[in-house]
Amino acid sequence: MSREDLKQMAQRIQDDKKKYAYTIFACNASGCIPSGSEAVFEALKNCVKDRKLEDQVRVVSCGCMGICAQGPIVRVDPDQSIYQKVTVENAHRIIDEHIIGKTPVKDMLLFSHEKEPLINSFEETFFKKQKRVVLRNCGRIDPQSIDDYIAEGGYQALEKVLKRMGPEEVIAEVKHSRLRGRGGAGYPTGLKWEVVYKYVSDKKFVVCNADEGDPGAFMDRSVIEGDPHRVLEGMIIAAYAVGAQKGYVYIRGEYATAIKPLETAIKQAKKNGFLGETIMGTTFKFDIEIRIGAGAFVCGEQTALIASIEGRRGTPRPRPPYPAEKGLWGYPTLINNVETFANISAIIVHGGEWFCETGTTKSTGTKVFSLAGKVKNTGLIEVPMGISLREIVYDIGGGILDDREFKAAQTGGPSGGCISKEYLDRPVDYESLVELGSIMGSGGLIVMDDTSDMVDVARFFMEFCMDESCGKCVPCRVGTKQMFDLLNKIYIGRGTMADLKVLEELAIFVKEASLCGLGMSAPNPLLSSLRFFKEDFLQHIQRNEKVVKPLI
Amino acid sequence: MKPPFPIEIDGKVIQVTEGQTVLEVCQANGIDIPVMCHFEGLPDVGACRLCLVELKGVPKLLPACTLRVAPNQVINTQTEKIKKYRKMIVEALFCERDHVCAICVANGNCELQDLAKKVGVDHMRFPDILQPLELDASHPYFVIDHNRCIMCTRCVRVCAEVEGAHNFDIKNRSYKVRIISDFNQPWGESKTCTSCGKCVAVCPVGALWSKSSYQGKIEKKKEAICDLIRKRKVNV
Ligand SMILES: Cc1cc2nc3c(=O)[nH]c(=O)nc-3n(C[C@H](O)[C@H](O)[C@H](O)COP(=O)(O)O)c2cc1C
Repeated sequence: MSREDLKQMAQRIQDDKKKYAYTIFACNASGCIPSGSEAVFEALKNCVKDRKLEDQVRVVSCGCMGICAQGPIVRVDPDQSIYQKVTVENAHRIIDEHIIGKTPVKDMLLFSHEKEPLINSFEETFFKKQKRVVLRNCGRIDPQSIDDYIAEGGYQALEKVLKRMGPEEVIAEVKHSRLRGRGGAGYPTGLKWEVVYKYVSDKKFVVCNADEGDPGAFMDRSVIEGDPHRVLEGMIIAAYAVGAQKGYVYIRGEYATAIKPLETAIKQAKKNGFLGETIMGTTFKFDIEIRIGAGAFVCGEQTALIASIEGRRGTPRPRPPYPAEKGLWGYPTLINNVETFANISAIIVHGGEWFCETGTTKSTGTKVFSLAGKVKNTGLIEVPMGISLREIVYDIGGGILDDREFKAAQTGGPSGGCISKEYLDRPVDYESLVELGSIMGSGGLIVMDDTSDMVDVARFFMEFCMDESCGKCVPCRVGTKQMFDLLNKIYIGRGTMADLKVLEELAIFVKEASLCGLGMSAPNPLLSSLRFFKEDFLQHIQRNEKVVKPLI
Repeated sequence: MKPPFPIEIDGKVIQVTEGQTVLEVCQANGIDIPVMCHFEGLPDVGACRLCLVELKGVPKLLPACTLRVAPNQVINTQTEKIKKYRKMIVEALFCERDHVCAICVANGNCELQDLAKKVGVDHMRFPDILQPLELDASHPYFVIDHNRCIMCTRCVRVCAEVEGAHNFDIKNRSYKVRIISDFNQPWGESKTCTSCGKCVAVCPVGALWSKSSYQGKIEKKKEAICDLIRKRKVNV
């Protein structure tokens, strides 16, 4: 298949779609399903059929549009009207009033936090500060249709790479973009690819890490649900660049709504010659298989993930050797996060230079966050790196629920930390967050208001790490339990200042002596809470000392 | 034979060859590094963290048992930080389960006890996380007492890699990890156990013992297992 063929194909699909006067996108991603979006989708389809509008109106079940708090969300194109909290009962009004009557259903339109519900006014608040690269197609195409992806320019990056670039050029372009791994640690992606490329081996592997175990995170899941082909394309390009013949997507079993579109996408890609023996008519061959995890957080760690794919108990092993040298079955293996792969096609099409234009010098591009907690607009957002926390919380998030006081933002999940009010204006990039004792993480962002008790928060994350510790190395296995017990003791008002000291000593010990990233970062939520919210701890302890003192 | 090259350990220049681990080099050169999960001849897992060393240029501490020598390495094995963590690891092991020497078969014959003396643990500074666990005496010759197990997994590895039976494995996560026999069955009902006793021989503490032993009279033929592994390697 040549570039012209692909472009013609895209054009033909677009022309085909022009016969529809309207397209209705009904979100059917994991955020909207619990609020009944599947039934809404059926209702819309039936209604269109009833009114005999099938030739003019296309109803599409699509991925996340971001505004999860207001779901189920339905968008009507080309008008770009977004309807919120659509139900089976009122779904027909969208057809009858908007499409047949040509007047938007005002009382169902998503409103901004202004008085008058307006078409697109949500664009002004929620979407204005966002930039969609990874999520470009999410909620705008049918994730189950490869045609939709091709119509949006899909697989053109792959064509460019296969026909007109050598592996070294691909790596150079990715290096040029200064893209960093979106799985948490922020390791430069181009560099990682180069390392794998340089190892000489008859077999190499590419693995997509879709384990996403952080509580409160649903970015990778949404990307796969909404635009699975983008991830596949990134993986295929990576395989070409590093010289791999086989790829795996390691995805957690709980993500049934993501596994299905992914399976469909792999089948379609094979059928259309983007995967398999002679990809796009070249001699390059690559195949992708899905591996389903059983939901252990630690299996997101690279070496544990490898063990799990190989069919062994998912426990990490010491590095070096790194997976780039000795990965799956001892062969060089490239492991990247879903979002990292999802950035690749845009970098190839528009160039590394273009990618650098967004973000800061050291953290380029955009980052997808799942915005959760006590903000008005919870949902899935994609923002340029370097944006301030304040902009995320107050502009995109619409401020704190019930207009209460902001207390802390938790980034990086159980490996990250809590950032206090004073640092709201710090840019969100890899270095700044580490400076604040947190990490970028994979993109969970939980906002807390003044009712949150930071001892409880620290305790929650410690309990998570304790449960998820694989139990292999002593510091993490014993230390997380000891820290949890101490935090619990403080929380219930039995703690003393001496406990606080022991807690701190244990935290540093676990951080420095543990085997893998889980233990090394498990004390982060505790340490950052101690740093910024020591007051909370002291309050709990003083409560105890008041009781105890008369006894001494 | 690959040509030797020098690396620096604790300020001493030592000639090493590719493929050696830092632990092997230290042991051959009289540098004392405590170990627990390591057992000569078994695959190393880097789990107990007692052999952590500092490698110049690497921010994190690395276990000597899995760290391979490479040119230009500068390694420190006895810094204050490392000594402190070694002690904390031994303390952590004591806090985890029921390690009361006075009533243990391995008293006087226990690697954990020796270690405690060596790193200077004489009381517990950290909260214990004791949980009463079961003792499995269903096997005709051997007993496993989970209360004394330190999860070094030597028994798992020796059973799978040397005996080739793979009777033992691990269940659960976190502090709830446990050694299991076959599919979490009583040891006496195991279909895979060959009753060879290698697990008992390599157990560093009093978690595995033979029914014929009593306190002060436990026999741990560790050297015999090492010898066996060495001889097999030569044959290969
Ligand atoms: C305990 C633990 C859990 C992790 N979970 C994930 C995960 O769910 N998804 C992910 O992409 N990376 C996860 N990582 C990071 C991976 O180890 C690895 O760094 C990442 O997949 C590399 O991809 P990247 O370079 O594209 O970020 C985890 C790391 C640790 C230590």
